[in-house]
Amino acid sequence: MGPATGSAPFAAVPGVAAFRAGVRAWLDSHDLTPDGSHSLDAQVAQLSRVRQALYDAGWMRYGWPPSVGGFGGPAVLRAVLGEEVASRDLAEPGIYSLIEVLAPTMICYAPPPLAAEMVPLLLSGREQWCQGFSEPGSGSDLASLSTRAVPRGSSWVVTGQKVWTSLAQYSARCVLLTRTAPGHGGITAFFVDMDTPGITVRPLRTMHGVDEFAEVFFDDVVVPGMRMLGQPGEGWRLASDLLPYERSTCFWHRVAYLFTRLDRLVSAAAVDETGPDGADEAAVGAAYLALHTTRCRSRETQRRLAAGETLGPETSVDKILLQTAEQRLYDTARDLLPGAIELDNSPWRAEYLYSRAATIYGGTAEIQRNIIARRLLDLGKE
Amino acid sequence: MVDAEELALLTDTLRKTMTAASGQALDAAMTELGWHDLLAELPGVALPLVFRLLGETGAQAPLLNDVLLVAAGREPGGVVPLPYAGGGWVVWARSGEPGTAVDAELPLRRAGHGEPLDPVALATGRRAVGWWLLGTGRAMLALARAHALDRVQFGRPIASLQAVRHRLADTLVALDGAAAALAAAGDVSAGEEELGALLAKAAAGQAALTAARHCQQVLGGLGFTAEHALHRHVKRALVLDGLLGSARELTREAGRRVIADGAAPRLIDL
Repeated sequence: MGPATGSAPFAAVPGVAAFRAGVRAWLDSHDLTPDGSHSLDAQVAQLSRVRQALYDAGWMRYGWPPSVGGFGGPAVLRAVLGEEVASRDLAEPGIYSLIEVLAPTMICYAPPPLAAEMVPLLLSGREQWCQGFSEPGSGSDLASLSTRAVPRGSSWVVTGQKVWTSLAQYSARCVLLTRTAPGHGGITAFFVDMDTPGITVRPLRTMHGVDEFAEVFFDDVVVPGMRMLGQPGEGWRLASDLLPYERSTCFWHRVAYLFTRLDRLVSAAAVDETGPDGADEAAVGAAYLALHTTRCRSRETQRRLAAGETLGPETSVDKILLQTAEQRLYDTARDLLPGAIELDNSPWRAEYLYSRAATIYGGTAEIQRNIIARRLLDLGKE
Repeated sequence: MVDAEELALLTDTLRKTMTAASGQALDAAMTELGWHDLLAELPGVALPLVFRLLGETGAQAPLLNDVLLVAAGREPGGVVPLPYAGGGWVVWARSGEPGTAVDAELPLRRAGHGEPLDPVALATGRRAVGWWLLGTGRAMLALARAHALDRVQFGRPIASLQAVRHRLADTLVALDGAAAALAAAGDVSAGEEELGALLAKAAAGQAALTAARHCQQVLGGLGFTAEHALHRHVKRALVLDGLLGSARELTREAGRRVIADGAAPRLIDL
């Protein structure tokens, strides 16, 4: 299956401002509003619908190389597109942004024909993919992972368990980290079809009521050798290489989304007949200041990426700013909308509860501070 | 425009000047160096550089007067009453009489009243004080970091203790965030310069106070002595935070604006 037949909206790759204007005009005349259902099934179906429409219209293909069905151009165009999607609430930004870690991995590490065949399936919304990284025994200490891959003929046989795998139950493929030898240099990545015999997916019940994460069990799963990503032992480098994408484009999307929630909060809170008092103003101001600061920092990171710089441990600063801003925003929502989270079954409830995980996923707040202390402040070993 | 080499040279010159002189002597040295021309011709370079370096070196001079005067289209070299937290006014003297501020080096004292500042001048002044606060915060972090690496307790440097490391990490996060907000305040969307400067000053004040709290703690008893340099920076951060509006006041003002608009202005774009 080749790339879809959509044509490019522009004759040449546009600049950021022209691209943004083009996306906005197109979205103004193409209604992709979700149907209002908040179930995960509905969210995932909506995500596929949005990706497919944007891919067919060409927008989703900018910022990706022609070798995988893209129209080329800088990655910042993907940040702009994601911001427009998030600002209009067309798709949940967490699952929308998964492509930002999955597709670059394929482009950098998959054999080129495999990337050319597969990546368009992801970009066009025809498939969902997942990332099999964390394990029950390997969370913060990811490098200790123990899901084994053992060679058998020209294939590898995988046995073990993953956890916190987003959208595994909807996914056709998985970028999977396995152990093929001891140590950091003994981690090897594979691109696994999720319908391979021996794979069992069990959605995790979480406190916010959306079963976005799953446990994935691998029981003698046979993976062809040609599905290896990179070389044996390159898995740790692959995982580290994802950081620039996760911490730049994904973060820009998420900040845009959080701004929409602040807008929504002040509109909802304004109808309170007592009106805002000084404490309300201070709380809204603090949430706004934290979001604005995060957005400023994220823009600097986008600019460094655009200038060809290699992003590294300094993105832990972005991560801490973002997670702190997110939790402050939802704490403020709980204060300004009394009972909305506890008593009313509004979207604020699930979003508030989900925000509690912001200091845990993607590297905990403590791990980020450890990285900053060691790598940015050069404080030596613990 | 200034190229990277010229900027490095200018930075070096300013740092040396500020290390050698402070107060009236630095005021005179800056005039000699061409501070007035720099401010008039290259405010985008002058403001961040000069005020950040004042913070980092711990020097002080009444240059904020010039920033406000020039931004209001007036001649530099004079004195203008400055709004202070709580609706007060202060004067930053340039004639040598001592002040009453907790930071005894600053010739700053309360004034009865002042003329409301031109909004553009106020915004420019807030950016300048914001950069100063950032530099002061960086100076405190450098002192605390050096101490954490030197100070041995329980047979190892305290920099190896996670509680200490995380305080210093949080300080860097606050300072880097403020630096981004300050840099962005220089190119926010048209018509939002005042809000951009307000937020940048709030972020910088908050970051400097965060730095003061964490660095004082990491420095322990040493940081409480008058012999160690930390207390000078802590007191400077306290005074500068209140100047042209405190982080607390500005944050609340930003919140009032967001509530009145029913939406949060984005200010910057990719």
